[in-house]
Order: sequence, then structure tokens, then C-alpha cells
Amino acid sequence: MATEPRPDHLALREGRRERLFAAMEDHDLDVVVLGRVANIRYASGVPILWNAGTRPFGPGCVVVRETRELYLLSTWDEGVPEEIPHDHLFGITWNPMNFVALLQGIDAEAAPHRVGTDAMSPLFAQLLPMAFPDATIIDASRALGSARRTKTAEEVEAIRAAIGVAEAAMAVAVTELRPGVSERELTGAFMDAMASLGITTPATQDVVRITSAGGDRTRASDRVVEAGDLVSFDAGVVADGYTGEVGRTWPVEPNGNTPAIESLYRRADELGERLIAACQPGASGAGLLDAYRSAGEPLPGAPVAHGLGLGFDDPVIVRDLLQTASTESLDPGVVLVVTASVSDDTVGSIVTHEAILITPDGPDVLTSSPFWNRQRSGAQP
Amino acid sequence: MSNLLTPALASTGLHLPAEPDLPRMRRERGARLRSGMADKGIDALVLLGNANVSYTTGATWPLSDAGRANVERPVAIILVDDEIPHLFTPFVTDAAGELELDRDHLHGPTYLDLDEGVDVFSRALGDLVPPTATIAVDELTGAMHRQRDVLFPDWPPRAASEIMSPARLVKTPDEIACLRRALWITEQAMADVHAQLAPGERQTDLTATFLHRVFELGAEANVLDPIWQVMPNHQADLPWTVHGDIACPLLSSERALAQGDVLWVDAGISYGGYHSDFGRTWVVGDEPTARQHAQHRRWLEIHDAVLSVMRAGVPASDLTAAAMELCGGDRPWMSHFYLGHGLGLDSAEAPYVGTDLGDSYDRRQVLAAGTVLMIEPVVWDEGQSGYRSENMIVVTEEGCVNLSDYPYDPYGD
Repeated sequence: MATEPRPDHLALREGRRERLFAAMEDHDLDVVVLGRVANIRYASGVPILWNAGTRPFGPGCVVVRETRELYLLSTWDEGVPEEIPHDHLFGITWNPMNFVALLQGIDAEAAPHRVGTDAMSPLFAQLLPMAFPDATIIDASRALGSARRTKTAEEVEAIRAAIGVAEAAMAVAVTELRPGVSERELTGAFMDAMASLGITTPATQDVVRITSAGGDRTRASDRVVEAGDLVSFDAGVVADGYTGEVGRTWPVEPNGNTPAIESLYRRADELGERLIAACQPGASGAGLLDAYRSAGEPLPGAPVAHGLGLGFDDPVIVRDLLQTASTESLDPGVVLVVTASVSDDTVGSIVTHEAILITPDGPDVLTSSPFWNRQRSGAQP
Repeated sequence: MSNLLTPALASTGLHLPAEPDLPRMRRERGARLRSGMADKGIDALVLLGNANVSYTTGATWPLSDAGRANVERPVAIILVDDEIPHLFTPFVTDAAGELELDRDHLHGPTYLDLDEGVDVFSRALGDLVPPTATIAVDELTGAMHRQRDVLFPDWPPRAASEIMSPARLVKTPDEIACLRRALWITEQAMADVHAQLAPGERQTDLTATFLHRVFELGAEANVLDPIWQVMPNHQADLPWTVHGDIACPLLSSERALAQGDVLWVDAGISYGGYHSDFGRTWVVGDEPTARQHAQHRRWLEIHDAVLSVMRAGVPASDLTAAAMELCGGDRPWMSHFYLGHGLGLDSAEAPYVGTDLGDSYDRRQVLAAGTVLMIEPVVWDEGQSGYRSENMIVVTEEGCVNLSDYPYDPYGD
């Protein structure tokens, strides 16, 4: 983060827009109306005030393919790049008819046949046909997903930077891990370190979990760490729009090196190696599910992998969606967070998140945080 | 700094439990919902928005960045004739531990951004809802839009806001107790940030302290990237705006604060799903000038005038009129926002008072006991910056109660 909010740099904006316009062409979209924060950032390059959670659908950015013009919901021009002139900005409004008037103006100039949106609501299902009376209103989320799916070189750099912050902040929180510290205190230490590094927006806020407590609990509790606990850290940050994520699990010393814990780490290592090996260019996403099967580990309910970018990108590989997994191809330029999760009834779980760039030559692991067991054996690079 | 204890409410006519009773809160919200659904002829609600899912199911979780929250999110199906909500969630253990949901009502995660996810969900919906049912929905993903014919017998489906907005407009005492706890956490953390305020500190350093403290104090999540906007003396030194009014809120950065900087502070966290909202004006490393003190007195006059007319049964336009009367007919708030906004499971929610929907809209909004409003007038004093604070006000039958309990330091007596 700089000392003032700035638009994403030119090469980043241009590379993404090339893909966006190509996707609009492929999907025969004349105009897209974007409501999702990540898509607005992708198209406009403008940083937006961060709120946690979902937002209701409404037009935040409108893109016209023929003229390559963008219209942006922004009451001021801070952080707005020069290619979006003042008369293409529109202010916050509570009156939905103001959106209709804005879109009617775009309709008059662009005369679109096919208008896409990245999400929809009952209200806008009524308003958009009023704004674009001669156009078919269709889904554009697939077009946006296809554009965002593989990353430009500049996007990979942005993701690397975000991962760097996540790893550095996680390392600070891990130094606080000792008997007597609570999940809340460790979460606070992570957030403090992240913001002190200049990045104030977490990707996830369920950062720390004593896995010995079992289940998929997410909320930090007053529960205090005890010697012999396994504590997982899921560190995610949003830096300049891009998500960086890494996860490691640490045993609480003393009592960390029991045979049961050591054995569980060996299982986590074995699974992790199989997952990374499955990240080959052109491979099927189903290979990541197969990695669990071949390691003899049960598949978790949470995604085993998801795309990393301006959020949670395609592909999403999860136990419940086998058909999706088998049709997803790990193309060069995809960045994944891959999760290795192993459990033992007596000691808890080890959860590891690694960020991996698929390259034409194979997987490039972008995360480099130490592992407890490999650090002890001196194998950590 | 004055005390940060919670205010004595006994004399105000507002009776709040010391701790929210969450099962009671869920029951009361559920009864309100189903009565609204019956009145409006809606058989089933399909809800995707985080706040709507929390309201209808009682599930809460640490909200994530929107980029993730849109994809990996709990979803609710509410049936008019079933007291128990159906929850589809990635956080099954949390839900099982906290909510009274049996295995028939607690479902695993659903992925409505993906075609296959919508296929699976539409079968679950079909098992719960007869084909002729009237369904209302708050939002649709792209994949749901593509498969709308499978999901919805009629297009467009009814809007869930018909049910959700009226239900969420008035808070139960337990909901207000959650809001009050969220605000208490925020104010405690702000006291530490306030003590740290000095020339050379970066905006992000203030955020670091704030985040650290709110999590230690029991916040479920941070919900807004905290604002520490340095307000210049002259509006011309703020960014250009579409409407000619001041630009606010602007994003924080690693900008270092300087002696005498006027900071407009805005932040919020969540507790039990409920969001706090905090707004104050601070001066960095200095005492306010006489003119700055006068700005604050002016702000207090407007604030107090608004509170003096607030009570159940009055139209929201009485609030804007009270503020404007003191300002010669001018509207003492930011024209892209409002004089006041509701607060609950979203950081800003209905009712909105003084928006561009206009006075006729405000005349039709009648305040009810239990409505919670953030009142946030602005005093801009061209040439010497301005003053802005905001307070959390609960409407009661007799009047209103200010739950914000943070001093105006360094302004005021």
C-alpha cells in the first residue's frame, strides 16, 4: 500500500482489459453490467472501500465492448485512472431509477443486442429490460470467470506480493504461539502484523484454530492453547485487490513431538506432495481429488483447491462437485490454493494451504512458509 | 478521557438484557419472518446475502472478503410453514454447535456460482418446495440466472426484500443488546487507538492497533477497512466529486499523520452478526482551535435537535427538518449519503433518512420503537476543515436513547 490510494498500474489494467474484451467477444456480449467487487476491480483497476461479506447486486461498473468505454460507480475521482473520464463516473444513489437513467444513456449510444450481468436480483431483473429494451439480458459471470481464470504476468506478481504479506504476518502470529495464549489473541496478533505491513484487509477472518477441538469450527474463541495442541493458521490477505493465502499447522511445545503428532505430519507431507504433483499443466482438476484417494486420506467437505486472484476464482475443486472437478483443466497461468487436510481422532488436524502457479513446465509453489516438521529435520529450504 | 462504561439505561425506558439471549432472538425473528411471509403470500425464501442468511437462520461466522464470500457462503431456505430454517453451510460444526438444527435442516455447503452446484441445490429446493410455490429470493448468481427456468416457476421471482426489509427494520431487545456489545468492543479498541494518535503514526498503524484489540475483545470480524481521513482546510484540496460536495470516506493508506491533522474516523466490527458503527473527529497532537470547538458545538446542536424530535410514530422527515431548520434550510450532511441510516446485520441498512430518494420518501417512513439509527450530521467550515461524528440511537415510544458512549475528546468541555 502506498501513501495514497492509486489505480492499479497500467500494465495490469491493460492486460486484464484485453482478456475482458476478448471474453465479451467470445460470449457475444455487447455490454456488461458488473456488481461484484472483484469484477469491478478487474475491469476498472480502481480500489474500492473494503467491506466484509457479500453485497447486494447493483451496477458498479458498466463496460461497452464496441467503444471500449467504462462507466464506474464512484462519487469521486481518487484512484480512478485517466481512461475513465469524469463524465463516466456516477455517484452513490438510493434511487434505483437513477441507475435506469444512467443505463438508458448507455443504451442510446451503444444500442446493445446482448447485455450481460455478473449476478442478478429480482429488482434488476425488472429494471434492466427497462434500461435496455431491445437487448437480451443474459449471464456474464461465465465470461468474467473465463477472463479471470488464468493470470497475466502482472497479476501473478500482485498475487506473489499478497502472499508475501500473508506469510510475514502469519510468521509473527506463530511466534506468539505458546501455552496460555487464546485463539482471539493469536488472531489479533496476525491482524496487527498484517496492518503494520501496510495491508489492512484480511481475505478471511477465521485465521486461527485449535484443531484438537475438532470439526470445522471457524470463529476464534476464548479457548486457550495447551501444550500438545495442534493449531492451524489460515492466513489470507487482500493486497491491492489480490488475495494471498497460506496455511500451516503448528504443534504447541512442549509435547509437540509425540509419535502420534509426528505420524500425522508424515501423512500431511505425503498428501501435500501428491497434491503438488497433481498440479501439472493441462491436468484434470479431478487429479487433486485422486491425490487424497491415493494417499488414503478422506476428502474434506471444504474445497481441496480453488483459484486465487481477485478473490475465490475458478476452478473450485471440491468433493461434492465431481463432474466440475473432472471437466476443469489446470491450464498454465492458473493460480491455485491447494489444501492438504489430515486428521487423527486423538491429536487433531493438520491443515496446509499452498499457493501454486501452474506453468507450462509444472507446478511453481509460490508459498514458502516453514513447516514445523521439516524445519526440525533441517529440510526446510 | 471520560469513562467508557455502558450508560445507565434504566431511566430511559429502554430495557435491554445484559447479555443477548440468542435462542430467544432467533425465535422472535423467525416468528416475524413467517408472519410477513404469510401476509405477502410467499411460501419460501431462498436467501444468499450474508446478512439475510444470518437473520433467518441465526448462523454467524467471521465474514470474509467479498471475493471469497460470494463463492463460499451459507445459503438459507425458509418455508412459511416450518419454524426451523434450512441452512446450507460450509461451517457445519459451528452451526451444529450453536443452532437448534436437526440433520434434516442442516445441510452441507452449496456452490451456487457453479452449474453443478446449482443442479444439486435445485434438487434440494425441489424436495422442500412444491413446484407451484411462490418463491422470493434476494439475489441470484450467474449460474442461477442461467438456470432460472429450473429454479423458479415464474420470472422474475418475488423479491425477498418484501419480507426482509420490514422484518429487519425494528430490532428486538436481544438484537439491540448484540449491537451494544459490538459498539462496546469498538469503543474500547478506539480508546487504545486514540491514545496512540501522534504525528508520524501512519493510518495503517492505527488500523493495526484497532484490529488487534477488537479481536482480543471478542469481535467476530472486522467489517469495514477503518477510515482515518485527513480532512484539509479547503474542499478544493479533496478529490473532485460528481456532485460538488466533499469527498468522504476516502481510503486509508500508509500516509503518516502530521501535527494538527483533522481526522474523520469511521470503523465497525461484528458481534453475533450485528455490526457496530463508530464515528468521531480527532486532532493529531494538538488541541482544537476556538473555531474548531465552535464546529463541534454546532454539530452537537444539530445532533441534539434531531434527537429531540425522534420518537416512535414520527416520520423520518421530521429528523431532516429539525437539522435543516438550524442550518437555514441547508442539509447538514453529505449529499451522497444521509443524515441517518439503520444499523443491524449490515453496516448500513434501512431506514435511510435524508437520501436522494427525497423528502416525500422520508415523509412516508414512520419511525418505530426498536429502530436503530446512526445519526451523522456534518459541519463543514470552509477554510478550517470540519467536524463529523456519529452516534447509535435507539427509537423508543417516549423518545430515543443514545447508546454511543465515547467522549468527543479533544473537542468539547
